[in-house]
Amino acid sequence: MGLEVKRSLALSKGTIRSLYKAGISIGFALLLTSVLFLLTGANPFLAFYYIFAGAFGNVSLAAETLVRTTPILLVSLGLAISFRCKVWNIGAEGQLYMGAMLGTITAVALGNTPLTLIISLLVSIAGGLAWASVPAFMRAKLGINEVITTFLMNYVSIYLIQWLLAFPFRSPDTLFPESAQIPPSAVLPVLLPYTRLHLGVIIALFVALPLVHFLMMRTTFGYKLKAVGENPEAAKYGGINVGRTMFLALIISGALAGLAGFVEVSGIQFRMRPSLSPGYGYTGIVVALLGQNNPVGVALASIFLAAIFNGSTTMSRALGQPQGVVDFIQGVLVIFVLASEYILRYLERKGVLKV
Amino acid sequence: MLTPLFFLKRSRVEATGNQADQPPGSEFALHVKGVNKTYPNGVVANRDVSISIMKGEVHAILGENGAGKTTLVKIISGCLRPDSGEIYVDGRRVEIDSPLKAISLGIGMVHQHFTLIPSFTVAENIALSLPMTGRLSLDQVKERIKSVSESLNLKIDPDVRIEQLPVGLRQRVEILRLLCQDVRILILDEPTSVLTPIEVEDLFRTIRELKSKGKSIIIITHKVREALAISDRVTIMRGGRVVKTLMTKETNESELASLVVEGFCPSLKIEHGGRGEPLLIVKDLRVRGDRGEVAVKGVSFVLHSGEILGVAGVAGNGQKELVEAITGLRRADSGTILVRDFDLTNRSPRTIIKKGIAYIPEDRMRRGVILTMSVSENLVLKNFEDPPYSRKMIMDKLAMERSASELISKFGIKASDPWISVSSLSGGNIQKLVVARELSNGASVLVAEQPTAGLDVKASEGVHQRMMELKSKGVGILLVSADLDEILKLSDRILVIFEGRIVGEFSRDNCDIQKIARLMLGASA
Amino acid sequence: MMEVEWALIIGFIAAGIRTSAPLMLASLGETIVERGGILNLGIEGAMLIGAFTGFMGAFLTGNLWVGLLMAILGGILTVLTFGILVVRINLDQVVSGLAINLLAAGLCLYFFRLAFSQGAFPYLSELIGPYPIPLLSQIPVIGEVLFNQTIFVYVGIVSVPITYYLIFKTSYGLKLRSVGEDPLVASYLGIEVSRIRYTALILEGIFVGMAGGLLCLSMFNVFDTRIVAARGFVAVSIVILGRWNPVGAFAGSLLFGFTEALSLWIGTFLIGPASASISQLLSLLPYLVTLIALLIGGRRVRGPAALGSPFSKE
Repeated sequence: MGLEVKRSLALSKGTIRSLYKAGISIGFALLLTSVLFLLTGANPFLAFYYIFAGAFGNVSLAAETLVRTTPILLVSLGLAISFRCKVWNIGAEGQLYMGAMLGTITAVALGNTPLTLIISLLVSIAGGLAWASVPAFMRAKLGINEVITTFLMNYVSIYLIQWLLAFPFRSPDTLFPESAQIPPSAVLPVLLPYTRLHLGVIIALFVALPLVHFLMMRTTFGYKLKAVGENPEAAKYGGINVGRTMFLALIISGALAGLAGFVEVSGIQFRMRPSLSPGYGYTGIVVALLGQNNPVGVALASIFLAAIFNGSTTMSRALGQPQGVVDFIQGVLVIFVLASEYILRYLERKGVLKV
Repeated sequence: MLTPLFFLKRSRVEATGNQADQPPGSEFALHVKGVNKTYPNGVVANRDVSISIMKGEVHAILGENGAGKTTLVKIISGCLRPDSGEIYVDGRRVEIDSPLKAISLGIGMVHQHFTLIPSFTVAENIALSLPMTGRLSLDQVKERIKSVSESLNLKIDPDVRIEQLPVGLRQRVEILRLLCQDVRILILDEPTSVLTPIEVEDLFRTIRELKSKGKSIIIITHKVREALAISDRVTIMRGGRVVKTLMTKETNESELASLVVEGFCPSLKIEHGGRGEPLLIVKDLRVRGDRGEVAVKGVSFVLHSGEILGVAGVAGNGQKELVEAITGLRRADSGTILVRDFDLTNRSPRTIIKKGIAYIPEDRMRRGVILTMSVSENLVLKNFEDPPYSRKMIMDKLAMERSASELISKFGIKASDPWISVSSLSGGNIQKLVVARELSNGASVLVAEQPTAGLDVKASEGVHQRMMELKSKGVGILLVSADLDEILKLSDRILVIFEGRIVGEFSRDNCDIQKIARLMLGASA
Repeated sequence: MMEVEWALIIGFIAAGIRTSAPLMLASLGETIVERGGILNLGIEGAMLIGAFTGFMGAFLTGNLWVGLLMAILGGILTVLTFGILVVRINLDQVVSGLAINLLAAGLCLYFFRLAFSQGAFPYLSELIGPYPIPLLSQIPVIGEVLFNQTIFVYVGIVSVPITYYLIFKTSYGLKLRSVGEDPLVASYLGIEVSRIRYTALILEGIFVGMAGGLLCLSMFNVFDTRIVAARGFVAVSIVILGRWNPVGAFAGSLLFGFTEALSLWIGTFLIGPASASISQLLSLLPYLVTLIALLIGGRRVRGPAALGSPFSKE
């Protein structure tokens, strides 16, 4: 018993390496961003101050950051599961939209009943899961590259939903191509008055996160994920069904993305719109990689990206910078996350760092 | 061309006791002197090896796996650099630092694993190794192929894809390629290990033709008959050293076999009780290898409870494919594998594991462990879904740790902490881990491939002790090893496998080591 | 009546070919690189950068051809960056490709917003239009369809036999294919794997830069980060379906180009209350068709044996 406590407190070498790698990635990304700020005539320190202030400056801003974290975290947790066994699901955006759409349809159809919210949430999970099952099948059974299929499914999903919102499910009371409003009983309740902080945060941080952590770290399924991702030949030798593991990993990540979609509808938008997600499906990829597919790391990385999302809006307004800073940072971040292992090894070789 | 220094060195070679009979006045096409090579993992592959090859001679290098033959020829052909030693080509001292350099010196090698691209044609493959720029002029290449192949009476269709060719013809392409590059010293590494008897005849014919054109040929082989059939001189290697060099016509099968394998008497302190009921029944098994050739050609045997059945044979004679078919990692074309009454032919690895077959694989690093996972996690690779390691899908880390600590101490695995990553263990300890796992999971049949490879004497003894313990508990053990000593020490019965067939069966009482050695090497009993 | 319909059909075929141009160019480039064993999923991002640099070049200088040059340079730069990650640093090819896509999206969005404030709506006042080949374009039917196209179509069509020749009839092509089948054997035989791969990547960069550039300079006259619309991934699918053969890639790109044109054109033909609805729904047709094609023809296909595998000389 004591051994276990000691084990969980002490940081393993692997964790330290991961922290270093995350640090290197963020460090280089911020460095490059600073260069960008300088080139565009802004003071980097001021810019980062504004970003931080914009994300955490006061209670309502911090609440907004948590609000932004919610869908990112849900998507990234799913992607962490998928990436862990090296199944590259880049269709989270489409799965998110599908879950949101199906959840909204259900909510509107059921009307104002006490069960509407829970049923709609379940439907959104099922929707994302089902949408992911097509590429999952194509990969597990037919060996077709899942990167291509999941990405194409994004476009099918988004165009399909755009059409659904423009015609069959178009809202009767507004001019825009969007759905009807969901009934009040389908809305996630607000937790903090005068903010938008809704129950979805609890779902993401205190339900999904521990569940995914448990799944990946404590169950036999988590073991299989790791084994298949690291060495499929040895996994097969050990008796693991490699195809089935990959299939399950993809559809679970789809399920979580679908949930993220409806949580956004239910907590923030209150109706389904084509502009529901500013690319959370892709941000999720960056977050999962930055968090090294570890649920805790992913959680931290989600908050980080959410902070940058929100903070850079404030910063842009304050300093007159263009809107795309968060996209720039995301893009640069992912390259350095990739290269961080090699940068770390290089630094170790040169004696700068010792891990 | 021959410097006085060279003559001095030659006489030193004679003085070290190599009975290399050199007709007076002959020039050496290739002279290797005092080559040493130790691999990073500590294995000494070549120890002060010296060998001379004459022009226009066929020279066989004979020895078992691990004797150092392949290392030597890889050094000669530029694939490896020696730690020390000198090489002379046509009397000139040379440094061979790459395969291309070797080719430029006229030395080329046909490896055991062909360096051909299967989806390309013969002409395309040969074109790749010839200098070329700009437009691809396959016609020119085909002309060259034609003239070279005709001068040697070797027929080949240059427009056929390699994957369409039987192995014997693929080998011919490799040889042709070397000839198109004007190679004068050809090295063939175990050339007949993948050929049918007819193809072997063709190869020998080719070798004689090449010899008549003044080429020198070095054949690496473990087959005594082959060395006798084709070579002018034969050098026997054992344990990284040159044992002897003889004129082929002055020796015979028995002498050569006894030089290759040291005869000895197994120390009979091992308990050999009676054997029980049949556990694993293999009947008429046919399995294909990676290149599409039939690697296991109708093997049948019965493994009994409480018995250690040794499969003796030089690596590459079908053992790998046999084992993979039994453990569910390779498809069997035909035949049956039964464990008690269950038909396990072509079932999933999971089913086979569940039915009680444990497997220590030869390639432990790639197949036996997952390097990035911890020792404890690797130790439960096959039974992590069963209690006590997990209940209802939830893993019990304490149980894993407890069992891991037990196994670590029982098997002497040097790991400071059961949760460290396996990649930080030494190779020998990784092997101990795999052995520990497979010997402790309650299997009724254990398939062990080279179980003590890379282990020191003490650790090997430990493994053997465990195996005896299992045997006394009624486990049936299929021991596949190229280490004849190990087989002789442990086995109750010994099967000899050669070219995919069982060519001999011996029980403990009537084991004739010389006979086994000869069968392993393809000689007749 | 008949003549009107005939003209429409000819116009449709011409449009189909025109729409296929970006896919043609991108898939030819990807074919070359994949024949060398590299799976470049970053062409989506490379096309985006090509579109962006092309647009900016044309917008800032007022010269469409400068824009095209900038597009090509942008394509080469992006693909070479991918090349360094994958050939020099030997990172995982799939993840590196994804990273390039994310990087490209980020860079383009940021710099576009930097150049133009939120409300601005920059556009090019003219486009690279069809260039009728004198004489040949007068031939009835074929003239309109084949010889009254943009230079991108001409380059695309002409590049098919050139690429075919390069891959299958030159010594470089043989070396390229050997690297794609077995880089270990190739390097054993003395072939410089890295140099061969970088050359292929540069060629791809030219094609892909052009493909991206034509989106802004010829097809649409604006830039948007969604302009590539998965064409890069469709190009990769085309390479698979075309079995890594330039002629197959050409055929595949025609198939998808026509599907895309069809989804646009049906809208023109439809009348009635549901027409707007159906024509919007049809915009997902190309993607659906690609998926179905992969389902039918993409299973367990064997490309170059070493495709996607990391390789280092150690």
